[in-house]
Amino acid sequence: MPYDALDFYDVDSLLTEEERMVRDMVRDFVDNEVLPKIEHACRDGVFPDEWREELGNMGVLGAPLKGYGCPGLSYAAYGVICRELERGDSGLRSFASVQGSLAMYPIWDFGSEEQKNHYLPKMASGEWIGCFGLTEPDYGSNPGDMITRAEDMGDHYLLNGAKMWITNGTIAQVAVVWAKLDGVIRGFIVEKDDEGFSAPEMKGKHSLKASVTSELVFQDCKIPKDRILPGVKGLRGPFSCLNNARYGISWGAIGAAQACFDSAREYALSRIQFEHPIASYQLVQNKLSWMLREITKAQLLAFHLSQKKDAGTWIPEHISLAKMNNVDIALEIARVARDIHGANGILDEYPVMRHMANLESVKTYEGTHDIHNLILGRHITGIQAFTRSLE
Amino acid sequence: MTIAVLLKQVPDTTARITISGGVVDEAAVGKWSMSPYDEYALEYALQLKESGGADLIAITCGPARASKILTDAAAVGADSLIHVLTEDSGMDSSNVQSLLAAAIGRVGADVVLCGKQAADTNAGSTGPGVASILGFTCVGMVSEVSTDADGFIAMRMGPSGNEKVSVSKPCLFAFDKGSMEMRRPNVRGIMMAKKKAVETLTPSDLGVSLIDSRVSLESHSAPAEKPPGQKFEGASSVPTVVSKLRDEANVI
Ligand SMILES: Cc1cc2nc3c(=O)[nH]c(=O)nc-3n(C[C@H](O)[C@H](O)[C@H](O)COP(=O)(O)OP(=O)(O)OC[C@H]3O[C@@H](n4cnc5c(N)ncnc54)[C@H](O)[C@@H]3O)c2cc1C
Repeated sequence: MPYDALDFYDVDSLLTEEERMVRDMVRDFVDNEVLPKIEHACRDGVFPDEWREELGNMGVLGAPLKGYGCPGLSYAAYGVICRELERGDSGLRSFASVQGSLAMYPIWDFGSEEQKNHYLPKMASGEWIGCFGLTEPDYGSNPGDMITRAEDMGDHYLLNGAKMWITNGTIAQVAVVWAKLDGVIRGFIVEKDDEGFSAPEMKGKHSLKASVTSELVFQDCKIPKDRILPGVKGLRGPFSCLNNARYGISWGAIGAAQACFDSAREYALSRIQFEHPIASYQLVQNKLSWMLREITKAQLLAFHLSQKKDAGTWIPEHISLAKMNNVDIALEIARVARDIHGANGILDEYPVMRHMANLESVKTYEGTHDIHNLILGRHITGIQAFTRSLE
Repeated sequence: MTIAVLLKQVPDTTARITISGGVVDEAAVGKWSMSPYDEYALEYALQLKESGGADLIAITCGPARASKILTDAAAVGADSLIHVLTEDSGMDSSNVQSLLAAAIGRVGADVVLCGKQAADTNAGSTGPGVASILGFTCVGMVSEVSTDADGFIAMRMGPSGNEKVSVSKPCLFAFDKGSMEMRRPNVRGIMMAKKKAVETLTPSDLGVSLIDSRVSLESHSAPAEKPPGQKFEGASSVPTVVSKLRDEANVI
């Protein structure tokens, strides 16, 4: 059966024709080149290199960035791209999010003219892969206390420390790494072959299996002076990247939820138990209508946020709400869809268990679900509840 | 060289078709797409353009909604777009052929590519009809075409296998399933397509006076429902299955 993307309120009719053409292009790529290969990619734990190439050919990497060979699309188009990619697999969307929002974006916003000209065209075309190193083994939700540090050695910087959970790390040519220089967080561009840098892959994931996750290790890693990002100091640097990536995730999660809904509806209509399709039973209908309800709300949330992004009237808390809500409902929809599929739901013949396992990562990265609750809590009350003194 | 590719917008092959009042209810069609054989024609038209530095003009004839497929064609590389606007979907084939032939004549194309039939009517008369009005050589059931000296080489399904034929301009190729699928657009193409103007022409702009339809549609009806599948279990049913395969399915 061809994919029937749930769009109960016809929210996509609010997109421009150009945005819908971009949607159809990415949907076609996912149908023809991603879905036939995804289960193999997961089993082998690899991100197929053809996908990198085709994302570059389509011209969707760094979607909302303008100039320097970047696509220059709207944030709405960027959202749609994430949604369609994640309908295929969250690992594929993660690749695109990291490349565009976490690696290209900081160079585009905070880089020097030379850095932009040198890196962005090759990253937009997919020739160079980027990664983003913020999280450390001991500092996840609390990156401000990171240990990785840079030292000014006069004619170069010396980087020491380790990052963990870094998407694309092992396959990246370019790493944007956040480290403390004289106690202040700064961004550094590290290249694959830099002395003292290694990026071993982390194995054994039960989630995002088609995405590469790595450690980044810096042992007296020598970085030329012109590789510091001149335009930003402090946590604002990494956080502005995260805002864009989280925005994309709020759309991406809808794609995964739509895929699960589509599969669950199909399955419920064709599976006969007690002489009738299970779709004819009220309990199953209740599950399907709950999915439809949550997906429709998530679509409206994401669409309205896209308009605020494009108009520049957003605040980070708007993005926190959308990321938190949409991933939360997508994960729950994946679980309910798995239930509707019965035992078949655990097989790789259906996409639901894969989406379910993927979404567990998506719930955690880019600010865990509860970190977004805390961000909203601070917004509502004016009181930060991330930490307190325990004396 | 100027190449024209003829494209028709049809209900998507996945769209649900409903019949009301004896005809297909177009208002109920959820998704319209480029007719699949036309996609092959467009892909090979793009290849000819790329090998010969030609100008590629995409032409459609149909109601206002049909201009969407011209924008899709522009996104993959069509240079100019012509929409012959006709609101009468019941118009018979000879009128469509006259309009398309006039549009081709107007742009001076000397090679035309189209699908062998449209996925909605399956009439299969457009290619040969247009070629006969224009006096072009017509090659049907084409799966590939390429340039050769000052003519073209086409691969086509002959009665007993593949045929390779050579033709010279002016000519028309009507495509069967091609060897290569239509390419996917990219963001740059999509953004450029938005800026490409569609030239909209009416029959009178083309100097074509429509004739009364010589063929009129009496009614549409849905295909007969497929009989449900039959299931047999156990070794004892083998003779029944064998006789059904022989006498009903005619496969052994
Ligand atoms: C597949 C994958 C890919 C990733 N890719 C990248 C990447 O490319 N780059 C990168 O830098 N990072 C990446 N990450 C790391 C990710 O951003 C972190 O895992 C995330 O920030 C959470 O950090 P943590 O895992 O250390 O969990 P912790 O911060 O230890 O959190 C554990 C639990 O404690 C809760 N918690 C923490 N603090 C509080 C508090 N104050 N109040 C209440 N609850 C709290 C959390 O909500 C969570 O439930 C990736 C992670 C995964 C799983």
